[in-house]
Amino acid sequence: MKLQTKITLLITLSKGAVVLLFVFLLPLLVDRIAFDYTNYYLRQQKQKVLRTIDKNGLDLYFQGDSTYGSYTMLLEEYVSLEITDTVSTLDTILTSRRIIESDTLNYRVLMYGFTVADQPVLLEIGKTSASIEQYNRPLQKLAFYVLGSLMIVTMLLDLLVIKRVIRPLNNIIRHRLINRKFPFGKINPPQIYSTSDFTYLDASLVTLMQQVYEAFEKEREFAGNASHELMTPISIMQSKLENLMLDESVSDEQLGKLAEMLQSVTRLKKIVQALMLIARVENEQFERNDSVNISELLEEVRSELEHRLEEKEIQLLLQLEVDWQISKVNRDLLFQLFFNLINNAIKYNRFRGNITVSNFIGENGRRRIRIADTGVGIPEEELPYLFERFRKSRARSQDGNGLGLSIVRTIANYHGFELKISSPNREGTIIDVLIR
Amino acid sequence: MQVLIVEDERLLSAEMAAFLKKSFYTCTPVYSAKEALQQLVDNEFDFVLLDLGLPDKDGLTVLHESKKHHPETAYIILTARGEVEDRIKGLDLGADDYLPKPFSLLELLSRMQAITRRKSGLADSQIELGAFLIDLKNRSILAGNVSVELSKKEFDLLSYLILHKNRPLTRTQLSERIWGAISDDDYDSNYIDVHIKNIRKKLGLWAETDWLETVRGVGYKIRLQS
Repeated sequence: MKLQTKITLLITLSKGAVVLLFVFLLPLLVDRIAFDYTNYYLRQQKQKVLRTIDKNGLDLYFQGDSTYGSYTMLLEEYVSLEITDTVSTLDTILTSRRIIESDTLNYRVLMYGFTVADQPVLLEIGKTSASIEQYNRPLQKLAFYVLGSLMIVTMLLDLLVIKRVIRPLNNIIRHRLINRKFPFGKINPPQIYSTSDFTYLDASLVTLMQQVYEAFEKEREFAGNASHELMTPISIMQSKLENLMLDESVSDEQLGKLAEMLQSVTRLKKIVQALMLIARVENEQFERNDSVNISELLEEVRSELEHRLEEKEIQLLLQLEVDWQISKVNRDLLFQLFFNLINNAIKYNRFRGNITVSNFIGENGRRRIRIADTGVGIPEEELPYLFERFRKSRARSQDGNGLGLSIVRTIANYHGFELKISSPNREGTIIDVLIR
Repeated sequence: MQVLIVEDERLLSAEMAAFLKKSFYTCTPVYSAKEALQQLVDNEFDFVLLDLGLPDKDGLTVLHESKKHHPETAYIILTARGEVEDRIKGLDLGADDYLPKPFSLLELLSRMQAITRRKSGLADSQIELGAFLIDLKNRSILAGNVSVELSKKEFDLLSYLILHKNRPLTRTQLSERIWGAISDDDYDSNYIDVHIKNIRKKLGLWAETDWLETVRGVGYKIRLQS
């Protein structure tokens, strides 16, 4: 759900809750107001009665009787006066039942005791409460409609205002985040918004992106520096050994040892080169702008490996059904990928074995290039670990630095290729490269 | 021939100089771009071996500057950066060759000789080995008046050994030179033996091949009295 919708909904819900609460509480409120008003009204009436008595005297009302009563036609109000024996200091308002004209009604009653010409008198003024309650329903209804429609109007207003207020957020999401791929390329400077939070958010995002970018650049730089730092001493060692080997005073035995050292240095050099290659690919330092013709590429690999094929008298059969063009790849890396795979297929093949490279459309319509050899195969339990760095198969005890397949996997990942490896019945190995 | 070695790594620079001296090159080592540019103003050089990662300036700047005044000098870029862009940029700026570190001194020397051959056009490309006359340029071998055929790789191997005559070359050095460094792990360089055996067999039909020596525990060497 969009933020804007969510906020509007939330506000509307809370408003609705308030409205409902208000509508339900309305009778109580009305009662309360009516109650207060009644009390006030009764006090007013009391003053009026007292003033009238002051003016006219009590006798006008009693006319010899000890009580006086008067009520309106519908019994909504009544006034009664009663001469009492004792002086009452009563001055109170209470709700009470009174029987008037044989009707029992609920009244709000003001009772007041006072003395006129040494005569203690009790005054009662009553007003029914029923007359108030009848307003509750319509009032509730009215309130409900008025507030309800107000709520809808304000909801629309809210929607508009919220949309306006959070527009910077949409801006930030659209321009900073959606479709931004790493590395970010050009990062626009942070914008100032009227909402300080968004200004802060944008600034933070820009800082973060810059930090990530810088870290990436540092990583890149590190790979370069590490390469330089490692390669330079290796260079020196190699050069020193080569010079030493030319020294006349070196004996034959020493020469052999120097040759062994040189071989180790070469080995070290190749491992560092392989690790650097993996690091560079993982750091995305290769462009993917080439379009490669697969049969040309494989022919090239074949010619590079000709000597190895000859040595083991292995037949490399390139059986490409159709020629494929693979676009958006790095040619050198792809060359490396197939070089390593075919090199392995030679390395672990038997004397006078075969290697068949074929291509076809596999499941899901994905293009596949299959490299099958007639070699020693790979035990099932070793298949999952095959692409790990420095991992060498126990069944494949040949020399090598164990990085060849790691490089293959890294290059494949970089291009979005998938690798499937199997060794049915351990009769040779089949590697499928699934092109995107 | 005069060689300017622009390399801030003094140990490496010294090794290069020592090696090249044996092949009769006169080397001047400098350790920064500033010194290099100074030397290039003061002297004429046949070769400039240029490291790209110099402490003060990028080696490519030196190349760019120097190329303006000395277009006839041969420039070989040496770098450990190994970035493809650097390589392309270097060659674009007119470098004659590019050698990624770590490189073999033998390789450096062969590249330099190749450049000399290319630039002069007339190098002594004919060499007498025992009863054989080998023409490196035309890639031909004569035994008396009979032409002997070798495969491409076999001839490459032979010419590399000739180029570095009287030096024992290891199998690794040979395989690296002939088949490149395409992360071919060194699982075995026995196929070098196969090729050498073939060379001996093919040439042995016509004359002695005792000049092609096996150096036990090391590799091979061509013995040639000059």
